[in-house]
Amino acid sequence: MDIINIILVIFFAGALITAFAAKISSIVQDILFIGTILATSIIFFLNINTNTETIINLSHINLTLGLTPLSLYFAFIVFGLAVLAGFYAVGQMQGKKKKGYFYFNYLLSIAAMFGILVSKDLVSFFIFWEIMTWSSYLLVIYNGENVQKTGIKYFVLSAIGAYSMLMAIVIIHSLTGSFLISDLISGFNNMSANMQILIPVLLLTGFGVKAALMPLHIWAPDAYSNAPMSYTAIFSGALSKMGIYGMVIVFLTLITKLPQETLIRDIIAWLGAITAAISTLWAIKQDDAKRLLAYSSIGQLGYIVVGVAIGTPLAMLAGLFLAFMHGVFKSTLFMVVGAIEKQTGTSNLKEVTGLIRKMPWTFIAALISIIALAGIPPLGGFVGKWMLYESLITSNHYLLVTLVFFSSTAAFLYCYKFLFGFFLGQEEKEWSHVKEAPAIMVVPMLILSLISVVLGSFPQLILKPINSALSYYSLPDTYNNLWKESMIFNKWGDQVALTPIVYGVAIVFIVFAVFLFFKNRKTSRYVTTKDISTSGEVPKEHENLTFKENFFQPFLRAVEPAMKRQMDKYMLAFAKGLEDLFDFTRRIYNGNGQTYAIYAIIFVIILLLLSNNLFS
Amino acid sequence: MESLLMNILGAVTTFLLAFAVGMTYGGLRRKIVARVQNRYGPPFYQNFIDAFKLYSKSTAIHHGAMHFLGPAFIMVSSVVSLMFIPVLTNNQWFPNLNFQGDLIFLIYIMVFGPLGMALGAGQTGNPNSAIGVTRGLSQMVGFEIPWVMALIALMVQYKTTSITGLLDIQVQSGHWFMFENPFAFSAAILASLGMFRYSPFDIVGAPTELASGPMSENGGKFLFVMMSSGSVFAFVKLTLIVDLFMGGASNLIILVIKTFLLYMIPVTYGIVSPRYRTEQSITYFWGWPLFFGLIAIIYAVFF
Repeated sequence: MDIINIILVIFFAGALITAFAAKISSIVQDILFIGTILATSIIFFLNINTNTETIINLSHINLTLGLTPLSLYFAFIVFGLAVLAGFYAVGQMQGKKKKGYFYFNYLLSIAAMFGILVSKDLVSFFIFWEIMTWSSYLLVIYNGENVQKTGIKYFVLSAIGAYSMLMAIVIIHSLTGSFLISDLISGFNNMSANMQILIPVLLLTGFGVKAALMPLHIWAPDAYSNAPMSYTAIFSGALSKMGIYGMVIVFLTLITKLPQETLIRDIIAWLGAITAAISTLWAIKQDDAKRLLAYSSIGQLGYIVVGVAIGTPLAMLAGLFLAFMHGVFKSTLFMVVGAIEKQTGTSNLKEVTGLIRKMPWTFIAALISIIALAGIPPLGGFVGKWMLYESLITSNHYLLVTLVFFSSTAAFLYCYKFLFGFFLGQEEKEWSHVKEAPAIMVVPMLILSLISVVLGSFPQLILKPINSALSYYSLPDTYNNLWKESMIFNKWGDQVALTPIVYGVAIVFIVFAVFLFFKNRKTSRYVTTKDISTSGEVPKEHENLTFKENFFQPFLRAVEPAMKRQMDKYMLAFAKGLEDLFDFTRRIYNGNGQTYAIYAIIFVIILLLLSNNLFS
Repeated sequence: MESLLMNILGAVTTFLLAFAVGMTYGGLRRKIVARVQNRYGPPFYQNFIDAFKLYSKSTAIHHGAMHFLGPAFIMVSSVVSLMFIPVLTNNQWFPNLNFQGDLIFLIYIMVFGPLGMALGAGQTGNPNSAIGVTRGLSQMVGFEIPWVMALIALMVQYKTTSITGLLDIQVQSGHWFMFENPFAFSAAILASLGMFRYSPFDIVGAPTELASGPMSENGGKFLFVMMSSGSVFAFVKLTLIVDLFMGGASNLIILVIKTFLLYMIPVTYGIVSPRYRTEQSITYFWGWPLFFGLIAIIYAVFF
């Protein structure tokens, strides 16, 4: 049997066995779950290469499975996150109900993502895509709250995406007579001009739903915040990247061949940038950390879409690099929220406060990931942001870069809100009992933050596989032109050398940290957050000095006009309109025989009246 | 080894220069403001006295690790951005790290400080600090937009994103970008009003309203580090605008003259203007400054 088949079989068998292992014991179930993920990942990392290809014969259709350099890159993200989030999930699910249900769907969606990446034909691609949607849907409604609202939103939009993808697949098959993606690419030039537009648009709709591209994003805030956090780490970190993966292929192989190439690229890029800007503003408004991060994920995916849509070599590097980075830091942040929720019982930024001294390791992971998210040097996020800006400036997208810059500056606001809300501010008695999360949850977070730090100085670790993936789709080799060891360049030859930056930052920081911290720590004493300067008055123990309400109110007032229009409301109005239409049809088909008889008579009268015109 | 020592010496010299110039300018500002308000005012070297006093104080209390590290973060931002900006045009004295980073990098390292500072201010638990920080971050979103648009206009016009590259073009052609693209210069100057945070944009510190905002709870050595960082940062901003728009400076005297003239713009604008409310000070930058930025980009692309 082939490696890919073995991995898929282990996944599906593991999922089934894990689901029913609760009958034996809870610990066995945990071990089986971790064992399945570890076994598949080890087999994957040790054996897989881009030459493996396997064919499964289903009655008349051949399912072709194999890896390309691009899917290999995305598979790194999927498996890396699956292992770390898997360990975290064992910690988080301790003592929770429906563990089997969770593990089953978790494993199934990892398997489905792997299946999507190895699919070389559209049928298996679609099958795995649907398995992924179903398993993630079941986890979105895991806690049984708001099933109506969130579940249906996610499901309807996923269905829209799936149907448009299915339509594209059917059209492709009728035109080329084959389901193979390679046949689609080679046969694309011979199609009629209409089909050449229709197929990419249908496919992009399908991928845009998963990538939460406006106006198809409305499911994301609810779905991301409703699923258990250990799964949302995968959901936002890896599953949304499947949409990006599809988009990359469509842009690299189909859109480049179109005469209207620049127009489509610009439209999608602008959609991405607007998604980023608007969702950043909404993220600032949220008081629940889960929703804040969910909106922030939509925004970050917007940047990635901008990079992928612009499609110059540097922009592609930026988009794919950001895709990896987003997987790393956003899953860490979702894990941080999960840890805090487990320890305090809530994820509301208004309620929890001052955890820095109680959960120091979680704070360190959150701090590093937030710095990476904000794109501040010397961490990995900066490399991606830099490449994105430079690619936009050198490819004449001046207003687009301004918009992207606006959203990424505004992102500092919610970054601070997140850190301040959970970790800083007044320490309150209510949370004095809180302890650090268990090691099995903290260690994955710290490993992920370490990756953010390492990629800030050594982006070549990731840029190399991206480069080979892009060369596979015949983009020019970017090594030495746009990047080399610890250096990044733009088209005009301007450079940023990352090593001196890291050294510079580290040296200055250490000098002043020593000057402030180590010299003064012994001689000064710690005082509580109640012991502060308040114009000479000493605040009493019961006085509330917490600043949480209307955190960024002045800013939100300033940007109010941009937030008036909500895609949610338009979609709901559309749904209402449809309901009214159906209501109207129900009045016509009211089930009364007499009414139907009248319809028949009216029809005959009309026929008689118009007979001269109709049958002459 | 010798070159490394020379580099370190150069970096330290640059830092001391920036510190001295920034402190003096701050003192002069206090004097000028006082004279306009018909007071006698402190001597121009008062800031040095204050700094020395703060440095020699010992710290009695603290609020935790981030409280210590906040000022260190803000210092990192000031010093590292100083290292990436060419101080003089011929570049033999203080090469530092000029060729290693470009403008986009500089924009990002310049916001590193306020964020780190915000963390330190956050841990003190003083509500005034947190309010000041939220105002500061909001205002930053305001002025960064015209500022970035002005920079993009320059980058597009001259097809380079490197600071030294832009400086060299001015030196070789003899034309200052201030006259080559006046709209970019206007947008940058208006944005710099917000960057200096003097009245009417002094909403972060907001004397008598927020009790010095993020700075409250910091005294002694903390305040010394913040004050020196502020002075160095003022020098960084002024030198950057001189490098980008006014052809740089071939010696220190010209540098001082140019930066001082530039510095007078926010100072004099501030003396006569009362403080804005937060949302006013954000939307201010999305009016005329943004318009100038837009015109600057159009001008750069089409002319």
